[in-house]
Amino acid sequence: MAFRHLAALWVQITGTLCNLQCVHCINASGPREPWLPPLDAETARRHITEAAALGVKEIYFTGGEPFMHPAIMPLLAFALERAPTTVLTNGTLITDATADALVALAAAARYSLEIRVSLDDPDRERNDAIRGRGAFERALRAIVRLNARGLLPILTATETEAAPGGDRYARLRALLLEAGVRKPRVKLLPLFPVGRAQGRGGGTVTREMLAAVDPARLQCSETRAAAAGGIYVCPILSGLPEARMDGATLADTLVPNRVDHPACLVCWQTGSSCRNA
Amino acid sequence: MTTLSEPRAFRRIAVFGGVYSNAHALAATLADVRRREVDAVFCLGDLGGCGPHPDRVFPLLRDAGVRAIQGNYDLAVAEGHTDCGCGYTDPRDNHFAHLSYAYTLARTATENRRWMAALPGHRRLRLGGLPALLCHGSPRAISEFLWESTTPDGLVARFLDDARAQLILCTHSGIKWHRRLADGRHLVNVGVIGRPENDGTTGVWYTLLTAESGGDLDVEFVPVAYDHEMLAKEMDAEGLPPEFAETVRTGWWTTCLEVLPGRERSQGRF
Repeated sequence: MAFRHLAALWVQITGTLCNLQCVHCINASGPREPWLPPLDAETARRHITEAAALGVKEIYFTGGEPFMHPAIMPLLAFALERAPTTVLTNGTLITDATADALVALAAAARYSLEIRVSLDDPDRERNDAIRGRGAFERALRAIVRLNARGLLPILTATETEAAPGGDRYARLRALLLEAGVRKPRVKLLPLFPVGRAQGRGGGTVTREMLAAVDPARLQCSETRAAAAGGIYVCPILSGLPEARMDGATLADTLVPNRVDHPACLVCWQTGSSCRNA
Repeated sequence: MTTLSEPRAFRRIAVFGGVYSNAHALAATLADVRRREVDAVFCLGDLGGCGPHPDRVFPLLRDAGVRAIQGNYDLAVAEGHTDCGCGYTDPRDNHFAHLSYAYTLARTATENRRWMAALPGHRRLRLGGLPALLCHGSPRAISEFLWESTTPDGLVARFLDDARAQLILCTHSGIKWHRRLADGRHLVNVGVIGRPENDGTTGVWYTLLTAESGGDLDVEFVPVAYDHEMLAKEMDAEGLPPEFAETVRTGWWTTCLEVLPGRERSQGRF
């Protein structure tokens, strides 16, 4: 896939360290010894600085659970001085104090700070079967906390087999409205056959399929992910040896990449982007 | 997409975007512009949209000699695409976007579709001494939204470098803003005249840009009041969704909110 321009830099700041262990996690994150270690703050700052100089449009922090990183708040402040910044979180660590700090950060920032809180199903039992006991309550509480302070989080749900339903968008929206969120924001993501969901997809993108696609439909034409070990092709495949791009700098990696992982087929089919909009 | 270059330099131009079939606002804008001693008037595209009677804006644009470029809506209607190309994923947003697009596509005359098909994708001109690029969404993509809170300085600099310009003018998002970089170069989102900009007021905005040769750029956002109640009544009579007319009557956006960044979304009612 030809590279077009750097629209988004993803920073996998906690590697695969997470306080939850969701059944569909794209990088098999969890609380035990992470297979991909957290990224040190200095390396993260170097990549963000370079991305800003290259004209990046957005910075995303992900993991694992980003709020487990000891330097997450100063790193968010650092990123926000340079570009709009988004954090993908499970919401469990967003206490009142953290919500206050995030609101202060957003108010002082030149660019937009977005918080994406993962919650997969409007049904508490079904959600917790995927994300762990208590995950529903804690995520919803985080959304309400942030919303009450005027920072409008985006509920992000993965379309897992365990939680089917074509009306999922409307049901998630209704859940937010019922919880008192007056400006509901919902983003749906498809299930990617990677990490704990490995093997749940079939086939790969063929040469003919690649030739027929508008490059704008594939996010690898406009995104890169920084994680321990280097720069990777996209946030879905971040950390995997086969997805690592050659090069010492971010600029070195803005070159054509392989599109041969089963997860690439999901991008090809759905045109889905991990970006906010 | 093609790029048209203006042969002579201008001192003052009026620029607007997003007409959205709002012939009342277009007429009021053009009347205001006539009092401003401008050298030329430019429209950055999206002639159709959520308003009624899409064919009514074309004679106004032609008679006033407005120099237009193609927006994503114009491209879609001209080529008969299945949707407007805004890229919504929220089913509610898609529902409303499809309603307005299907209405507009069915009621735009072949002659006007041909006119839109022939519009350039970009225009280049000199304003005072400043080389300028006019685009719809962004210089690189017709449907890219450039909001104030999500367009970093580094990206603006990149756009200006790539365009070899001192000034970029765009629209598409629906809310006006102006960024002057530390090095003195500019990006201006000129806003839209087709609907209010989600601030609870019913007026719309266009932009006056003035640059003397060798001087800096002056950017003035000009408010325009128009008969919005008449427009809303026409929308009702045409059977367009009441949510669209509500926006016209109240100044608050009711649909297609998904694309708003958190900061801009927090400033609206919905």
